[in-house]
Parts: sequence; C-alpha cells; structure tokens
Amino acid sequence: MMHFDPTLPLKYWDALLIGLWMSLRLTLICLVLGVALGFLTSQARRARFAPLRALAGLYVELFRGTPVLIQLFWIFYCLPLLLGFEPGNFASAVIALSLYAGAITSETFRASLKSIPREQYDTCRALGITGMSLALWVVAPQALLRAIPTLLSNAVALFKESALISAVGMADLMFIGSSISNRTGRPVEMLTAVAIIYFGVAFPLTRVVGRVEARILRRLAV
Amino acid sequence: MNYDLQFFYVWQNLDKLGQGLLISLELTVLANLIGLSLGFVIALMLRARTVALRAPASALVEVFRCTPVLIQVVWFFYCVPILFNLFVDPMVMGVLALGLNLAAFNAEGYRAAIQSVPREQYDACSALGLSGWTRVRHVILPHALRAALPVLMTNGITIFQQSALVALVAIPDLMYEGKMLATETYRPIETYTVVALIYFAISAPISLIVQRIEARFDRVQA
Repeated sequence: MMHFDPTLPLKYWDALLIGLWMSLRLTLICLVLGVALGFLTSQARRARFAPLRALAGLYVELFRGTPVLIQLFWIFYCLPLLLGFEPGNFASAVIALSLYAGAITSETFRASLKSIPREQYDTCRALGITGMSLALWVVAPQALLRAIPTLLSNAVALFKESALISAVGMADLMFIGSSISNRTGRPVEMLTAVAIIYFGVAFPLTRVVGRVEARILRRLAV
Repeated sequence: MNYDLQFFYVWQNLDKLGQGLLISLELTVLANLIGLSLGFVIALMLRARTVALRAPASALVEVFRCTPVLIQVVWFFYCVPILFNLFVDPMVMGVLALGLNLAAFNAEGYRAAIQSVPREQYDACSALGLSGWTRVRHVILPHALRAALPVLMTNGITIFQQSALVALVAIPDLMYEGKMLATETYRPIETYTVVALIYFAISAPISLIVQRIEARFDRVQA
C-alpha cells in the first residue's frame, strides 16, 4: 500500500499561488479582449457587406472547429515566422486565447441578439426609432442582459482552457503543478491539489451563473 | 514575409498524419459511446429521489465540468495507475478520461431534455399504467434523445477537439504526429495548418448538421 501525504501541496503553496495568479490574469485579460472582439464579430456577421460577413463567419467557424491546443501551437510557432519577430510568450498566449474567446463569445452575442423579438423592431420603426438609437437604447441593453449568464459560462470555459498554455511552457497553475509533481515524484498529491484549486475557482463561478440566470429570467418575464 | 512555404514534407508524411487521425477518431468514437450511455444514466440519477443516487452523480458532473480537461487527462495518466494499481494501455486511460468528461457534459444535456418532457406525458403514463423501466425506455428516452440531439452532437464533436490533449501524454494521435512532424521537418506553418484543417474538415460538417437540426427545431416550435 502506498502512503500519501496530503499536506505535501501545502509546502509549495507559494509556487502554486504564483501559477494561479498567472492563470487568472491571463483569463481576465483575454476575457476582456475576447468579449470586445466577440461583440464586434457578432455585429460583423449581421453586416450588409457580404465579404465582411463571410470573413467573420470563417473566423468563428475556424476557431470553434479546431482544437484550442493547435490554435495555441500555431500562434506560438507559426505566427513569429510570418511576422518576422517574436511577440513573446505572454503576448502570444494573450493573442491565442483572446481569439478563441472572441469566437465563442460572438456566438453568445449572436444568440442573445436573435432572442430579441421581431415585434420590437417593428415597434421601433413605428415609433421612428432607427439606426444608432435603435442599436444603443433598444438592442444593446437587452442583448447584453441576455448574454450575461452565457458570458459567465464562457469565462469559466476560458479559465479551464487557459491550462493549455502549460503545453507551450508558460508558468501557469497547470505547469507549476505538474513540474512539482514530476520533481517530487508525487503526482497523486500534486495533481489532485491542482485539480482542486481549478475546481475551487470554477465551481463557485458556475453557481453564480445559475443565480444570475434565474434573476435575469425573472426580470425579462415581467 | 519572406517565409518560403513548402508543403512537400507534409504531403510525404500524410500517411503518418492519417494514422494519427485514426487514433483521434478511435478515441472520439469510444468516448462518445461512454458519454452517450453513461451520460443518460447520470441524468436519471440526478433526478432520483434518494440522495445516495443524486449525490455521486452530481459530484461527478461538477468535478468534470469545473476542472480543465487537461488535468483530467493527466490525472488519469499519472494518478489512476498509482491509486488503483492499474497499469493498462494508455489508450484506455485516454478513453476513460475523455469518456467521463463527455458523460458529465451530456448528463446536463439529457437533464435539460428530460425536463422538457411535458408533465402530461407522465400523467398519461400513470393513466396507462406504464411505470419504471418501461416509462424510461419507451417514453422518456425517445423524447429526451430527440430534444438533446443538438447538444449531444455538439458535445461529441467538442470531445474530438479535446482529444488533441492526449498528445501531451504521448498518445500518437493526430496532434502528436503533427507536432513530431513539425519538429522533424522544421516546417511548423505547413504542418500545423494542415493538421488544423484536418480537424476542421471533420468538425465543420457535423456542426453544420447541428445547425440544420436546430433550425428545424426552431421552425417546429414556432
């Protein structure tokens, strides 16, 4: 029978914390950039100019239809060759995960835009509300409100996918956890601890999603 | 850009990528078999009256949904053999990790679908004297499967993409073969682009079918 030392990860708490900070920081930055990109993309997919629509569609389908791991490898190993210079690890990770986040959040915005009933557009037309004021005062508030729960889920998904950056050697929670696991030869304790930390961040967030969803549904039902 | 594209090496090694793709597809199909069957069982457990059934099912779902797939794969690789003294083919571990992950996500899909079975059908079952297994098998399952179909297909194709993670624990799937080829030939752009396109070529048609099915469901509901 093997002996396990559940206190082992505690000895490395500072290293794990640094890793977690890296994961969180990257998630937050890419979330902000991704949401902005996602909103623009969702608008581009409804544009009148067909090539713009096609381009936005291709971007979303490509990033949703390929593994995030290969997107990351592509940005890390191919983009520098095309650019002629190295953007650096952190910038590369930000580019890769933001592009991924943009693709998934654009679908969120698209669904929330679709959920605005046709009648509202008709009403606006009848009331003479058009163009910018229609977009800003009627469409945007509702679309954003409806998108919030799914955007929060997107944030959780992004946080989980951020573990992939360990594969390109960035010192996030996953990377630091598995390095310690390799060095100490104690995968059970270390990897379980890493899983628990990820869970400790993601699980409360998913609960929040449920709460927010219920509240928004109640508000919209009125 | 002064990078000279040469696809020669990729074409020459297309058979290796083909072998890798077969492994990826094998992982995907087996994980889907587990995910589709176990997912339904978990969904039923989530609705059970006794806590003894509900608690383990919901723990499994939350753990797999709230941690990165990467740590799940790595955990099955390094921890399961030690914990259970189980030394089996790496493919088995890959299938188990991906299959359980998919089961957790499918369980949520099934659960939402089961909830959408109208109350009246249960009443009708009671009136007709259908209960227990007969009710599940002939009334709930067909209805839930139909309603859950788009989600199950989307989850199934997501696991195909997530299967790329097994490359990081040295299972020779498409991603792994691509990585080796890119390193051997110093041709990352060509190799990773071709690999990404292969993943895309398989995912895209299925996601198109899902869009069709969803559009049809929308029309039926309207």
